[in-house]
Amino acid sequence: MKNKKQRSLNVLMNILLILYAVFALFPLIWMLLISFKSDTEVFTTTFLFHPTLANYQEVLLRSDYVRYIRDSVIVAGGAVLVSIIVGVPAAYALARYNFPRKEELAFQILSYKFAPEILVVLPLFMIYQKLGLYDSYFGLIWVYQLISLPLLIWVVRGYFEDISVEIEYAAQVDGYSWYQIFFKMLVPLIKPGLVSSALLAFIFAWNCFTFPLILSSNKVYPVTVAIMKYLGTDSAHYGQLAVASTVSALPAMIFALCIQKHLVRGLSFGAVKG
Amino acid sequence: MAGLTLNHIYKRYDNSGKKKKVKNDFAVKDLNLVCEQGEFIALLGPSGCGKTTTLRMIAGLEEITDGEIYIGERLVNNLHPKDRNIGLAFEDYAMYPPLNVYGNVAFNLRAKGVDKSEIDRRVREIAPLMQIDDLLEKMPVKLSGGQKQRVNIARAIIREPELLLMDEPLSHLDGKARQAMRTEIKRLINKIKCTTVYVTHDQLEAMSLADKIAIINFGVLQQFGTPTEVYDDPVNEFVASFIGEPPMNILETTIIKKEGTFFFTFSNSNLEIAVPQRYYSVISDGFRCKMGVRPMDVLIGGPDSQGTPEKIATFENLGDERRIGIHVGDILMMLITEDEKRYKRGDIIKLEVRGEKTHLFDITTGDRIREKK
Repeated sequence: MKNKKQRSLNVLMNILLILYAVFALFPLIWMLLISFKSDTEVFTTTFLFHPTLANYQEVLLRSDYVRYIRDSVIVAGGAVLVSIIVGVPAAYALARYNFPRKEELAFQILSYKFAPEILVVLPLFMIYQKLGLYDSYFGLIWVYQLISLPLLIWVVRGYFEDISVEIEYAAQVDGYSWYQIFFKMLVPLIKPGLVSSALLAFIFAWNCFTFPLILSSNKVYPVTVAIMKYLGTDSAHYGQLAVASTVSALPAMIFALCIQKHLVRGLSFGAVKG
Repeated sequence: MAGLTLNHIYKRYDNSGKKKKVKNDFAVKDLNLVCEQGEFIALLGPSGCGKTTTLRMIAGLEEITDGEIYIGERLVNNLHPKDRNIGLAFEDYAMYPPLNVYGNVAFNLRAKGVDKSEIDRRVREIAPLMQIDDLLEKMPVKLSGGQKQRVNIARAIIREPELLLMDEPLSHLDGKARQAMRTEIKRLINKIKCTTVYVTHDQLEAMSLADKIAIINFGVLQQFGTPTEVYDDPVNEFVASFIGEPPMNILETTIIKKEGTFFFTFSNSNLEIAVPQRYYSVISDGFRCKMGVRPMDVLIGGPDSQGTPEKIATFENLGDERRIGIHVGDILMMLITEDEKRYKRGDIIKLEVRGEKTHLFDITTGDRIREKK
């Protein structure tokens, strides 16, 4: 009797989950469908159409799209790299050392994420113009630290705090220098957190729109902004737009699927202290 | 193997980072200790008293503010931990998670670049001693607390240190494992005869393991002596109340003189205890001080006893001994009896105190008041 009840409950739950999945994935599927449609068929609401690869040929072969992808990779990848180089030592310091105003500093780093991008982007625009950082890889990588650095520092700090100081002491007594301890002992221990937070930071940086829209123009052109190009003032190539969006979503999706397990564990492990 | 000498050691923490200014900012104050070669010394004190700090300074993990530390004849103040030739067993084991037990035990020798076959020989030699032969291939996460501590100690002694340091090695173990491990450590130390400094807050561990106990409070050494000395002859109220389980009964008392005999009297109580003759030279009528007496020196008198009748306030049956609490004024005075009789709350017993076993302490400083010789 109980089993039957349990089973019907399971079925119900699965139905609800499937409904939610359809709801959540529908925009993506719709985007994928549009990317195979010709411009004349874009607005049909039935699922019947003549699939074509013309949009893909147009975007990938006949436009600068590959360059935009490359720019995105450079900017988002560079941002994450800088965040790792700066953030891991910072997280270590915040976890291990006592110094004046430590918590305030940590909070300040976190607070970079509080303000909406649109709020700070105009002052940044003027500063960037003056400093000559406007429309440069370096400039975008720098401003992306607002997105990636706080995330990385806070996740990795939790990991460092979970590692017993005594492990460092033990290694010191065993004859290792601080650098050896750091790279041989600590880095492997924080790896799950580092990988997951770096990946998330990469996705956030990759998806960032406001900063590159305002702070770059012709020389640096990440995909998020480039997609807009397919919406001209006189014509809207929805098919090409869909292709560009699909392709730009791929790297993040592939990454996330590959390390899905690490992602969940990595982000929940540091937070739960037992 | 070598002795250890601590010469006027001070440790002061820089509190500039904290908002609150800490008044007593010396973690360790003028600490002097001499530990002979092969001796087992326990640093005993409540948490935060500076004992672990002291151990870390000996290990070289903490800087010394002032003073000198010698291991044998060597001044080690400025030596890196690895050059001090010490073994250190940690409170929470500090095992390297990615390495298995063998790797953890062998880690130090590998770091030193010892020959592989030599490492293997030494690990195989130590493993049966610590009873970890079966665990060598296991990963640290799979081990129980007791097993981890065995590995931890094996790791500390495999380097054949001149000085073995243990930082509360039993504090994370539960009752039974703790007792087993205590016996284990005793057996081990008898075997390897290494000079050992053992930090603990548990007086039972210190009493059962150590040749000498250093009792520390607020960073200041209170007393340094053999377990018998600190138990029978405490220098002050702190030591007296810290050593012994249950702790010594310490009661404020006024001494009065009746017909040429001095008695301890207590406020709100009829209890009177004769003051032993030896104290007569240091007391007078109306003298106020604290009196200490161990629970086993408080006795239940027989039917024809002259003792004061008192009501039992608490009764605990621990199997092989029974603990009885009696209100003397506001203080609960404990006594231990092996009497088989089952008392209950409210029963009247006749209380006899072995006056010759009492200690006197200064009412303000807590220092021991000794009879004049």
